[in-house]
Amino acid sequence: MEFIEQLMHGFFQFFQYTGFANVTVGHLVMLAVGSFFIYLGIAKEYEPLLLVPIGFGILVGNIPFFEGVGLQLGIYEEGSVLNLLYFGVMKGIYPPLIFLGIGAMTDFSALVSNPKLVLLGAAAQLGIFFTYIAAITLGFNPQQAAAIGIIGGADGPTAIFLSSKLAPQLLGAIAIAAYSYMALVPVIQPPIIKLLTSHKERTIKMKPPRSVSKTEKIIFPIAGLLLTTFISPGGLPLLGMLFFGNLLKESGVTKRLADTASKPLIDIVTILLGLTVGASTQATTFLTPASILIFVLGAISFMIATAGGVLFAKFMNLFLKEGNKLNPMIGAAGVSAVPDSARVVQLMGIKEDPSNYLLMHAMAPNVAGVIGSAVAAGILLSLLM
Amino acid sequence: MFLQNISSDTTKVIQDTLSTAAAQDDVFSHLGFNLSNLGSSDVVLTVLGYSIVFLSLLLLYIVFFNLAKLLNLNLKKKLQKAGKQTPADDDLGISGETIAAISMAILLDFQEAHDFENTVITIKKVQSSYSPWNSKLYGLRQNPKY
Repeated sequence: MEFIEQLMHGFFQFFQYTGFANVTVGHLVMLAVGSFFIYLGIAKEYEPLLLVPIGFGILVGNIPFFEGVGLQLGIYEEGSVLNLLYFGVMKGIYPPLIFLGIGAMTDFSALVSNPKLVLLGAAAQLGIFFTYIAAITLGFNPQQAAAIGIIGGADGPTAIFLSSKLAPQLLGAIAIAAYSYMALVPVIQPPIIKLLTSHKERTIKMKPPRSVSKTEKIIFPIAGLLLTTFISPGGLPLLGMLFFGNLLKESGVTKRLADTASKPLIDIVTILLGLTVGASTQATTFLTPASILIFVLGAISFMIATAGGVLFAKFMNLFLKEGNKLNPMIGAAGVSAVPDSARVVQLMGIKEDPSNYLLMHAMAPNVAGVIGSAVAAGILLSLLM
Repeated sequence: MFLQNISSDTTKVIQDTLSTAAAQDDVFSHLGFNLSNLGSSDVVLTVLGYSIVFLSLLLLYIVFFNLAKLLNLNLKKKLQKAGKQTPADDDLGISGETIAAISMAILLDFQEAHDFENTVITIKKVQSSYSPWNSKLYGLRQNPKY
């Protein structure tokens, strides 16, 4: 009899530690969200390199367990393995490393050959500042509002970098919103572009970009670093690594380093970043009305950024001669989200006119958007820290 | 026994979890649309921030617009000194389709892509390492008679 009692006691003690005993509705909702992300990544191929790690991270972060005994399992439990991996997110280590890889794999020659397109990248940062105002009116403090606004930069690493500094308590929601909208670029942008442009504008053929010399390509990262970081030193970790990566690529003498930065390093950091950002969405801290508000504001930010780029391209056309006019669709690529937004513009361009190739033109505002959002993050950091 | 080992670490964990949740609640407690939340300093920050972003990228445009001219000028001067012809215009009037076709041809040439495979024997000898699990010897029920 005593044996059976002990057996039952042991079983109940074990049961307390299982997921079944600790599961809540919040956990189930988040597990469904994680599964949906994985579905989007695999079945729909929406940014699979981001959505699959994030989706699986959401599953990892929302496995219910008995929290009161210091098992050191959860991502917010100091000393746990996930917590140690999450350190790179909390301290803003991963985003600059991602930027190093982006710099090493990005060809800025489209931008160098037609530098006026850099202005489209600047115009598309409108979403960040508009959303900052909107978030303030909704009751967020300036630091939180800036971290939410940066979602409009459509740049996951920048969003994580800024929110880890200004609003760490909102980091999970902001990171998930930023990456979700980046993945949903093919869904969000086309209707806005169509709404703001006529068929005639969408079929404008742009002059092919001129060839760019090696000297120009080498000068670009050095001059770019000096010009942008002297104005916005707050963006130094991001811009410094971006331009450093690009110099490794363009110098032609550091191929091994460029290859490592653009392949194994960025892949490793993407895995760690995706998984830990996903795992940071524990139901207890993530499923709050504030998170929903952040998602809504993020979507607005993204839409305004797209509209800002397109409208500014139309504005520039007022001053450009016939034959030099811009296809206003490329303005939408100014939101960053490399290279998805440029790809969306290319596909839309081909749909309107199968002989109109806009990819190279769209890449210019696209990479300018990366620089622009990093500069904006630096400015917000300097003004609000 | 394990349950009794609730240490100071555990207390800290609970406190951390509660404070995170409390921070979230605190964030939400005062949320709601109110235009009076918007101060003049917020408007100043927005205008100033956006202007600086725009100006820094405008500066990048000005520098690279002129850099290209400067480098082109040098190239033209060098060519003229060497007595070679210089192109009058950067635009060679080649359509995007032509450039795409040339680029694809070069890419295929570099990759040696072609419709017919070269005569290469593709039979690969597979060598599996020894494992007692697939050893014929262990599959015998009795020793063979010689």
